[in-house]
Parts: sequence; C-alpha cells; structure tokens
Amino acid sequence: MEYLSTDKILVIDLNTAQVEEDELDESLVEEKIGGIGITKYLYDKYIEDDPIVIGTGLLSGTTYPASASGQITAKSPVNGKLSHCPVIYKAGVEIKYSGFDYIVVKGNSPSPVYLWIHDGVADVADAADVWGKDVWESTDALRKFVGDDLLQTMMIGPAGENGSDYAQVCYNHWTSPDRFGFGKLFGSKNLKGFAFRGMGLIEIAEPEDYVERSLEILKEVKENSFIEQKGLGQILYALGEEDVKEWMDPVTHRHSADYFTPYASNTALFFDEDPGRLEESKKDEPGVLVSDVYALLGFKNIGLSAADAGRALKACAKYGIDPFAVAHLSGKTTLDEIKDSFDSIHGTVEIPGSGLFSPWCPTQPIFNDFDLSGEDETMAWWERRQAVSMIFGIQPIFSLMCPELTEENMLELASIGTDLDLTQETLDAVIDDLLG
Amino acid sequence: MGIKINALKCNNCMACEMVCSYHRDDGFAFLSACIVSYRAKEKKDYFGMLLKEEDVLIVARPEGVEVNKIGEEADPDKEADASAKPMLLREGCDLCEDMDDYGPMCIAFCPVDAITLD
Repeated sequence: MEYLSTDKILVIDLNTAQVEEDELDESLVEEKIGGIGITKYLYDKYIEDDPIVIGTGLLSGTTYPASASGQITAKSPVNGKLSHCPVIYKAGVEIKYSGFDYIVVKGNSPSPVYLWIHDGVADVADAADVWGKDVWESTDALRKFVGDDLLQTMMIGPAGENGSDYAQVCYNHWTSPDRFGFGKLFGSKNLKGFAFRGMGLIEIAEPEDYVERSLEILKEVKENSFIEQKGLGQILYALGEEDVKEWMDPVTHRHSADYFTPYASNTALFFDEDPGRLEESKKDEPGVLVSDVYALLGFKNIGLSAADAGRALKACAKYGIDPFAVAHLSGKTTLDEIKDSFDSIHGTVEIPGSGLFSPWCPTQPIFNDFDLSGEDETMAWWERRQAVSMIFGIQPIFSLMCPELTEENMLELASIGTDLDLTQETLDAVIDDLLG
Repeated sequence: MGIKINALKCNNCMACEMVCSYHRDDGFAFLSACIVSYRAKEKKDYFGMLLKEEDVLIVARPEGVEVNKIGEEADPDKEADASAKPMLLREGCDLCEDMDDYGPMCIAFCPVDAITLD
C-alpha cells in the first residue's frame, strides 16, 4: 500500500518476544478501507492468540480535518465483546508516524515488557524499571530514558497490573476513552504498554488535490458557530448540563485540541497553581488535562468541588483506572475516600448500543442536531458515526459536532489520497461487518 | 511582511506544523516544518509555537512573543530547551512563496486563526 500508509503491519508475539512485519496489501484496503475495518480483520485472523490490535485510520495524520484518531481493538474484559477504543490527543497520529499502520500483539509475555515503536523499528523491551510505577512515573521515565519529551505513550498503571476490572490504558499522562477495561487485558499479558515516536513521511497519490480539498472542507467546518468556543464546559452546556461551566471556571486553565482538530475538546484544570497563570508553572504537576466529560460530570454530581474533581481525575490517571467507573461505582463522596476506593471498584458500567464503542463519547450530536429524531434513530446514527470515525481516523467527539465531515468527502479524500476507487458500497459493507 | 502568532488563541492542534512540512516535502510529515507547536511541557499545560525565520527564532509563548536573533548568546536565566535545537537546523520561513493558491499554508489551515500575516 503505497499511499496514506506506512505499508507495514507489525506482528509481535509476546510469548517469544519475536517481531515480524507484513506488508499492508492494497487489496485489503480496497476491501476493508482502514482503521477498525482492518483491526477487526486482523483480530479475526489472529483470534487464537487473544490479540490486541492497534491501528490508525486511512486518513489519520493527514490534512483532513480532525484526522487525529487511532484505535485499540480487543476483547473487552468489561463486556466480553470485541470493542474499539479511540486513541486520542497526539498519540493516535504518532502510531502512524512511528512507522506502522497496524500492530498485532499476540499471546502473553513471561515477564513485564513494553513495546518501543520508533521510526519503523519495534523493540520488545524489559519493563522491570517501570512495572510497579504509576502512569505518570512510567511516561516520565520512558521520556527521560529516550531523551524525548514528545514520546507518546499508551500505558497502564497499578490498576492494570493488579487486574482491576476497570483498569484503563492511559495516553501519556491522561485518562482515555477506555471504558472497556483494556488496562486489565494489558496487565494480564504482562504488557505495560507502548511508547511511540517517529519522523516518518506519508506519501499521497494526488497531493495537491488532497490538500486543496482538505482546505475547502476546513473552510466549511469553520462556518460553524461552535468554532468560536473551546473546552469541555461548552460541550457539557450543549448537552444540557448548563451549570458545569460555571462550576469549573475557577480552576480552568486552557483548552487544547487533538491533532488537526478545530475544536479544543481537552480542558486543563489547575488546582495546585493559579489557573490564570500564563507563564510556565514552576510546579511540576499543577493540574490535570481532562477529555472525559462524563467522568467530570460524575464527580460533580457526587458533590465534589471542581478542584477536587480535578484531583480525583489526576489520581485516576496516575493509577490507570477509568474515572467514570470510579465516579459511578465507588459509592464514595469525598476525595480521600474516592482515592482509597480504587482497588474495590465493582459493578457494571453500561456500554450502550451494540457495545462496540466507548460511551466516553457522548451518544448524541453536539452543537448541531444532524436532523435526528427519537432515541433509536440517534443511537443508530451514533454507532454508524463512531464506526466511520474509526475507519477513517477522525476524532470521534468532533465527528459528532460537524456535519461537514461526511462519509462522501471522507471517501473522496481516501480515493484521492490512495488512487483507489473506494465507494459508498464498500464503506457500507465494512460498517455492516462491524455492526453485525 | 511576516508571520504573526497569537499563542493564546492557539489550540495546539499542530495543523500549522503539518502543512508547513507538507510545503517542504510534498508529503505528510513533521520533520521539515519551520513552525512547530511547542508541546514539550505537557504536564504543565504550557504550549505555544516556535517559528524559525531566516535570522531569528520567534518563540510565541502564552505570556508574549519573544524574538531571538539566531547565533546570539541565550539568556542564562532561562532553561535551555531541547526542542529549540532541531528548529535551528531547519530552513527559515519563506512565507510559502511557491504556494500561489494559498499564501502561507500555516495561516490558511489554522482552524482558530491564531496565525496571521503581520
């Protein structure tokens, strides 16, 4: 696969620490397009090895608006189903630029390891120095070891190592969309996580046309009034939680976006530093970056102040546990009680619809109505929209805001970029296969 | 005429970095960009932009813009930053002089208009 691709699939056997590379056949892209279309294909291919499959969308890391997302596909310890978790922030894009479109991890390691993926090279590395460390310590240690603060990680913390049902795979220092307990799955395989860094070059079949159409679509996107807004507070306001922004304003620092994403859907809360400070903080850990609207809301609804909600989210991120599960299942109402509850979280978090996609992503449109009516139509739209986002690699929350990101123009850009004839019929078939 | 950066409007999405590198490489990459998102202080949520022009390195911080003449001794009171070194090896901004349909790519693609022409 020559274009929009590294042309490489990495297959790692944790049992033997052996690493193999396969080419990404053009015919597979013609049939499955990319993202979770192909991670599901690879999961089925290696199903006897209980695989974890990491992937990127066909448009990930390009100039198509919000082409930020990667994916983790595996069998969820939470619901027992094959599920797909978005890889967000800047981590999803780094997967592709580190040299691989897809990574299949088979089997179980006899001792703790992490996978160091960099510039087309993959190492199964001894994790003895980071096993037992929390997510922040692990990410900091690997960045220091490599000497690169832009290293992107997908790591578990003590929750995953201890087999907590709601252990989460965290990205860099932050909680993630993982509602599926993939952290527990990583831990059961003695897999501490992944570190990605790369300076790859992705070629395009028709580069000038691709970039020109990307800009035309971006200009349409910028016509939306929501483009003037930023942050989780505005998203929650649009979802009907009108008092959250006022609650969090006293600790809100800045808002940031995932790769090439026009809306900043991550909000930093400063609770150990002046939130209005513009200069670099002198403190090492002034706060936390939050992407999880429902975890934040959950902590608010049990009566925490926004500062304590931030502290709870930071503690969850360090421990590597799903903050939504903590907020809803711990039964605790004070910060200290919540922090002490991580090892005793039990119960059920509902995964809506067919259970394939993470309800970290709101199950309804945001800012625009998409002409939907009724719960059934909205849920069917949401599942299709999630599938499409994770086939092409689009930031899944942004795709709920923006009608200008259409299946038609994603297919158009994919065809321009690859020189393949990717049709609506093919996309429909991939979605049917995913959704059953 | 040059590039003007408002780091407080920036949402750290790296669009400028990608399209700048595209202008150099005719492919998607980050290696050749003369404008980059400064994002090495992730835990402190401290981000802005670096722009290399022919003779100066512009550091657009949230608290203000700093223009450093390349080759001059750095301020000893400020911590050296590893991310500045590869920037100095890159070509300076040429305002995308060969991109007739766009003008400077970073301006055209910035989704929040944090980059403008000065």
